[in-house]
Amino acid sequence: MSSIRVNPYVLPDLLADLNNTQQQADTASLQMSTGSRINQPSDDPAGAAEMVANNAQSSQADSFLRSINSLNGLLQTADSTMNNVVTALNRAISLGTEGANGTLSDDDRTDVANELSGIQQQLLSLANTSYQGEFIFAGTATVQPFVADSSNPSGVTYNGNNGANSVQVGEDYSVQINLPGSQVFTGTSGNVFQSINDLINALKTNNNIGSAVTEVSNAYNYVTGQRVFYGNALNQLQAQQNFLNSDTLDLATAANSISATDMAQAATTFSQAEIAMNAELDGISRISQVSLFDYLK
Amino acid sequence: MSSLLATMYVATGAMATDQGALEVTSNNVANVNTPGYSREIPTLEESPPVVLGNLTYGTGVQLANVQSVRDPILQLRIQQETGDQGQLNSYVTAMNQAQTLFTTGTNDIGTEMSNLFSSISQLSTDPSNLSLRQAVLTAASNLATSFNNTASNLVAQRSNLDLNVVQSVQQVNTLTQQIATLNGQITALQNVGQDPSAFIDQRDNLINQLSGLIDVSEIKSDSGITLTTSSGTALVTGTQSYALSTQPDASGVQHIFSQQGTDITSQINSGALGGLIQARDQTIPGLLNGLNTLASGLANAFNAANTAGFDLNGNKGGNLFTPPPAGVTGAAANMSVAITDPSLIAASSDGSAGSNGNVANFSAIQNQTTISGETPTDYYGNLVFTVGNDVSNSTAELQSSQLVLQQLQDQRGSISGVSLDEEAANMTQYQQAYDAAAQVVVAVNQMLETVVNMGATAVSS
Repeated sequence: MSSIRVNPYVLPDLLADLNNTQQQADTASLQMSTGSRINQPSDDPAGAAEMVANNAQSSQADSFLRSINSLNGLLQTADSTMNNVVTALNRAISLGTEGANGTLSDDDRTDVANELSGIQQQLLSLANTSYQGEFIFAGTATVQPFVADSSNPSGVTYNGNNGANSVQVGEDYSVQINLPGSQVFTGTSGNVFQSINDLINALKTNNNIGSAVTEVSNAYNYVTGQRVFYGNALNQLQAQQNFLNSDTLDLATAANSISATDMAQAATTFSQAEIAMNAELDGISRISQVSLFDYLK
Repeated sequence: MSSLLATMYVATGAMATDQGALEVTSNNVANVNTPGYSREIPTLEESPPVVLGNLTYGTGVQLANVQSVRDPILQLRIQQETGDQGQLNSYVTAMNQAQTLFTTGTNDIGTEMSNLFSSISQLSTDPSNLSLRQAVLTAASNLATSFNNTASNLVAQRSNLDLNVVQSVQQVNTLTQQIATLNGQITALQNVGQDPSAFIDQRDNLINQLSGLIDVSEIKSDSGITLTTSSGTALVTGTQSYALSTQPDASGVQHIFSQQGTDITSQINSGALGGLIQARDQTIPGLLNGLNTLASGLANAFNAANTAGFDLNGNKGGNLFTPPPAGVTGAAANMSVAITDPSLIAASSDGSAGSNGNVANFSAIQNQTTISGETPTDYYGNLVFTVGNDVSNSTAELQSSQLVLQQLQDQRGSISGVSLDEEAANMTQYQQAYDAAAQVVVAVNQMLETVVNMGATAVSS
């Protein structure tokens, strides 16, 4: 009679085991359905905190990419506007050279001057180009930058300011996105409006046409130099976009390794738990039925 | 020389004893599912023999007593572990609810912070655009709402825990009263030499339930059992129970008082009450304080950034968020956006409408270590870690405590549990003994008949 007495109450243990197995199956199934093994902070506290940082970083990279997208439109508009300005100035130089020809009659020169007035109008309109409702050559002002003004020697008044905006497109990286119109069109080493106005006046008065053409050609060279800014900015954004795209990919890879469910493992855990559960249920259904009383007939 | 009647007496005594033993078996079987029941075993002993001349005759069997099989030391360990488990269980339940607030989703504080910085980043591409400005205000307001909701949810959880504390104290009082009553019944039975087993089982069961609610230490004394909290507040002495009471403090938080009027709230660290109080008075206030620090730091940083620039109308910027209260208490719950006019966002650094020069001051907040020496994201990440780690550790402790308790219960079962196999075996054993004794009675009866008939034959002949 000294044998070790066993605990006759096996059901509570079996039910506790069943509960544990059920929990394993539930966890595995949740991990599979959400694709994430961190469904609440306690699943992996350090991983959950890393995910907070990872989410913040990828959201930041994402917003930089969106900034670049909208800036691309702005800068491309500015760049093609500058291209039109350069073309117009080129045409003005040809016209000026033609007008400088001494064989031309006064009427012919007036015709040339009139054509140049048309170019002047076109340049004014180009300098007032807007992108999504904002004037792109107004500095940081929001008013129409250039207004025709015959009282001014250049024929225009600049109502913008000299401000420039920079936009952050990387954690420590900002790109300047505009040049003020005063710098582009009325610079000291090349003044688009002044030179065209001077050329028109020279043609009308048949006086100093040659030097006026040189002035336009200086303006042409100067504006061509200014145009490089927009090309550079676009290139910088393109390079940054490539970087951010690979950064986003890196962050996604990191997020994946922090929190993604190992599907194979989760599936294995789930099916193992299922098998265990069946075995436990089977055990419960058998054990609880039998006692010696069943044999006393 | 023995007599037939004495033999008859021995046999009927055996029958009575076997019947008594069978009754014990029957009681065991009846209580096979009764929680806290300890199996009983009948103690059979020989009746004192009679010496007749040079012969000693046995006078049969008698039921000396019925004994409960229990291990008081094991019972104490079960009580302690039940207390630990109660504490961990109520703590994990409370904190599991709290941690859902810190789960990364669509409206959590981390996501809303990112959204705000993202909207500011977009604003820099077109600073005079009203819809981009409105997007910043909306994101700021969403962040404030997220802080409000997280804080108010934590506060609501605290109030729920408060309610649980009051209910648990009421349960403690009910239990101590019942235990005191049982103490009286047990002592009364013991005084008249009766077996109080049934009451002791009930009392053990109640003390176990009590341990699940509050920390209990048990002292055995002549007048029954004395129960105190581990810090010495009397709960039961003999037949006297001492009710605990709850009183809200100035902030409405329920404190627990002993019958002498001492505030014992902070001394309770086991049982469900221990877990409830830990979550209510330490962990959740800690999380709220973290949220308040973050909310207050962010609001101040954004206000400083906005006042450093100029709005769309060229005026000096004002506060973006309502200034947080001095100290940080209530900063998260009351966080709100101070302006509704998107043109009042101070994106400009020089007063010109199209300048984005001040936006950098907003974006910089993201990487500034202004919140207790950490960036806002890191600070929030640490809060997530803290709550997650807390739940994960206490869940692990809970699981191991459950295992220990399960093992202790197994051990208790192996000592005190009713085995139906054993009872069935006992039953047949007692039944057979009863049958045998009855056969003896029949035999003696026949012998007596023989004797009586012998007399009748003698008379008739």
